[in-house]
Amino acid sequence: MTEPTYLELIHASIDGELDEHQRSELASHLLAHPESRALRDGLKDVCAALEAMVAIDPPAQLRASILAALPPRAARPQPARRAVRWSAPAWRYAAALAGALIAGAVLYEARVGHGPDATEVSGTMARSAMRAPDIVDTVRLERGPVEGRVSLYRSAAGFGLELELVAGAPVDVLVAGGDQKLRLSGLGLPDSPGGARTTVALPGVGTSGQTVALTFVVGGREVGAATLSVPAGH
Amino acid sequence: MEDEDDGILVRRCRDGDFKAFDQLVLRYQKPVFNAAFRMLRNPEDARDVAQTVFLKVFEHLEQYDLNLKFYSWIYRITLNESINALGRLRPCEAISGNEIDESPGLEQQVENEQMSRAIEQALMRIQPDHRAVIVLRHFLHLGYQDMGDILELPEKTVKSRLYTARQLLRDVLVEDGVC
Repeated sequence: MTEPTYLELIHASIDGELDEHQRSELASHLLAHPESRALRDGLKDVCAALEAMVAIDPPAQLRASILAALPPRAARPQPARRAVRWSAPAWRYAAALAGALIAGAVLYEARVGHGPDATEVSGTMARSAMRAPDIVDTVRLERGPVEGRVSLYRSAAGFGLELELVAGAPVDVLVAGGDQKLRLSGLGLPDSPGGARTTVALPGVGTSGQTVALTFVVGGREVGAATLSVPAGH
Repeated sequence: MEDEDDGILVRRCRDGDFKAFDQLVLRYQKPVFNAAFRMLRNPEDARDVAQTVFLKVFEHLEQYDLNLKFYSWIYRITLNESINALGRLRPCEAISGNEIDESPGLEQQVENEQMSRAIEQALMRIQPDHRAVIVLRHFLHLGYQDMGDILELPEKTVKSRLYTARQLLRDVLVEDGVC
């Protein structure tokens, strides 16, 4: 039977932790004790086999399931950081700046007159829809498993939702507004249908004060919720 | 281990940066899953443990001492959760040689690796405390000091336990006619 001192040296030699003196001490012992040699060889084989075992890839859905299982406190979109709204003075500055730019553009067009047609610049937008939709409410999603923003807009055709989401796993959004209930599936990934931005019409929405409830689902679990509303006067 | 980066990610997580936590998951999901799998030898249980580990990390980030190595902390949680899970499992679930066949991906990886299988089976026949030191040393490739930090044991005790664990593992393999 190998003495504890030498047993320790054998393990240390397997771990590559012997100094010169210890190495020589062990070598002398192994030379004189075949049973210690056999033990050393056996342990060495076991350790080599352990080291040779291949690390296993975790299940593909593990990451998504971890993120989806995080407490709603962190995952839920934060109401405090809701839609960025212009403060009154800033709004006035912005409106003045926008007015100046429009006036400048009209003057430039009238004097120079060789700019491209607006419909060419705007791609596939129809001439009748040239007026940009009005965003009436926006919720920003930050620091959760789903990030981005969802806006309620009003266009000539009525109200609709515009979603720009980014997530590590496909996001389903349940939309409930008016009598309408929708499920938008597979959003939030670069290869999602329609890319990062998705729009959907909400024909049942239009009354002042009406709300649109959004529920965000990742990996089959609800990870957040938000509400948008049609402000008074719309 | 990119310990400094871990610390930065943890600080960002504490500031509410969800993406930083996602980075930690990406970085540690494989070693955590593997450690749990080697402790439990069941991919389903290992997945559950891995999920629990990350949730605990998330919930207790505020209590985590940034002076400690993050990986020591997460591996300690992993081993504790694995040992807890072992307590909930029926013995036959833990030592059956067939679970791995239920997962085609895993089966493929270990197919024809008789020695690996023999070692996996042998690991399940030694005590979880001994298995834990084998996992830390040979699967997570940690040094004695890190092992001591994780197990909250003096380095000397860690060495002694590791030597015993190897010896026991070898005995089982000899008994099974593998060595």
